[in-house]
Amino acid sequence: MALTRRELLKKGLLSICGTLIPLSAFELLKPDAMASLIHPYSKKKRWAFTVDTTKCMGCGMCVKACKLENEIPFEAEVQRTWVERYVQTKKGEVIIDSPRGARYGFTKNDPQGKNIPEEEITKGFFVPKLCNHCEKPSCVQVCPVGATYKTEDGVVLVDRKWCIGCGYCINNCPYFARFFHPVHNVAEKCTWCYHRINKGMNTACADSCAFGVRKIGRLNDSESEVHKIITTKRVAVLKPEFGNEPHVFYIGLDHIVR
Amino acid sequence: MSHAWRPLFVIIAVVIIIFTARIIIVPSDFEATNGDYKYQWHRVSSEQDWKDFPVKHKGREFCEQCHDEMTATVKGSGHTNVQCESCHVQFNPDKKGHPIDLKEDFDYLLEIGIDRSRALCKRCHTKLVYRPIPKIYIKNRESYEDMKLVDPTEHNPGIECIECHDVHRTEFK
Repeated sequence: MALTRRELLKKGLLSICGTLIPLSAFELLKPDAMASLIHPYSKKKRWAFTVDTTKCMGCGMCVKACKLENEIPFEAEVQRTWVERYVQTKKGEVIIDSPRGARYGFTKNDPQGKNIPEEEITKGFFVPKLCNHCEKPSCVQVCPVGATYKTEDGVVLVDRKWCIGCGYCINNCPYFARFFHPVHNVAEKCTWCYHRINKGMNTACADSCAFGVRKIGRLNDSESEVHKIITTKRVAVLKPEFGNEPHVFYIGLDHIVR
Repeated sequence: MSHAWRPLFVIIAVVIIIFTARIIIVPSDFEATNGDYKYQWHRVSSEQDWKDFPVKHKGREFCEQCHDEMTATVKGSGHTNVQCESCHVQFNPDKKGHPIDLKEDFDYLLEIGIDRSRALCKRCHTKLVYRPIPKIYIKNRESYEDMKLVDPTEHNPGIECIECHDVHRTEFK
């Protein structure tokens, strides 16, 4: 085959250009990624949750309501949602506690049972915690039987009839949001009150909060309060370094929060 | 037939048994939604199981059906954002029960009572250095007011809060 000089240069340049394009450049051609460029918030119906830690009083009414609503035995030392107290002293010591998951609230200045004089405290606040309903839930990934899953609208649930109680998911949640249900003997977690949100109601915890700390709504519904908070306010998620893409967004998160 | 082939039949039989058992045991609606075996491999009817979970906290609107005067009072008071169930559904009631059987007649599953304990008020009204003090609008008094926080060890210890405070109107008795 006769190859002219012109052709050699042309083909040579083309193949060099071809090898230079990194594989990641083709990512743009994925339909999902293209769609997200057109709609910054995909039209997919996805639930999200916001927590305003600057307003939280630590009354623990959310924990109480959650336990009663979702039939978690009240005196059992497990809960789907809990409130943590962070107190930093002048020495730089950070004391974190959540007595009985705060189901009886915080009624005394006794972090971890210690008596810290008020003048020693530089800052303190309450952080309500719950399942983050991650986009990439590591708890779901490890389930050997397919008993836990993510629904179409982004809620992570446990199939009580199918769970064998091996506990891999409990170990794998970076947020410690899972536990064994003491009655059903299966893995248990927050469902974002799936039975309530699907009827147009609030979650039990959001409903019982008198201070407007907790809110649930559609992430991509421009009418929902959650959408407004996430798009206009300074929000952060817990442990983003794990790459789970959690969907509980916190206002007023501090670096001492774990 | 050679003895070497016989184990093969055993293996085939075991494989067939396992697959038949699998078809029988695994529910028919088990599927990976969107082809996502990583996160959405599940029994689809389980979603419905969770949707059918009974709603227990029915909120102020439920109580309003009969106690409309009381809910109107609360709405205009400092406790405007507090749900009836925060104080009337509890785990340690000193006065339990409701004149009408709510479970039977209204499918209301929580146990109603009146919690008059100081411990309940303390959950929100204890003064802590790190506790924020919200400001709320009180309709009955037409004013913005700071939430009242007290030190329970100094503020009339030993007396029940409701001796002096009307919690529905958030005023003195």
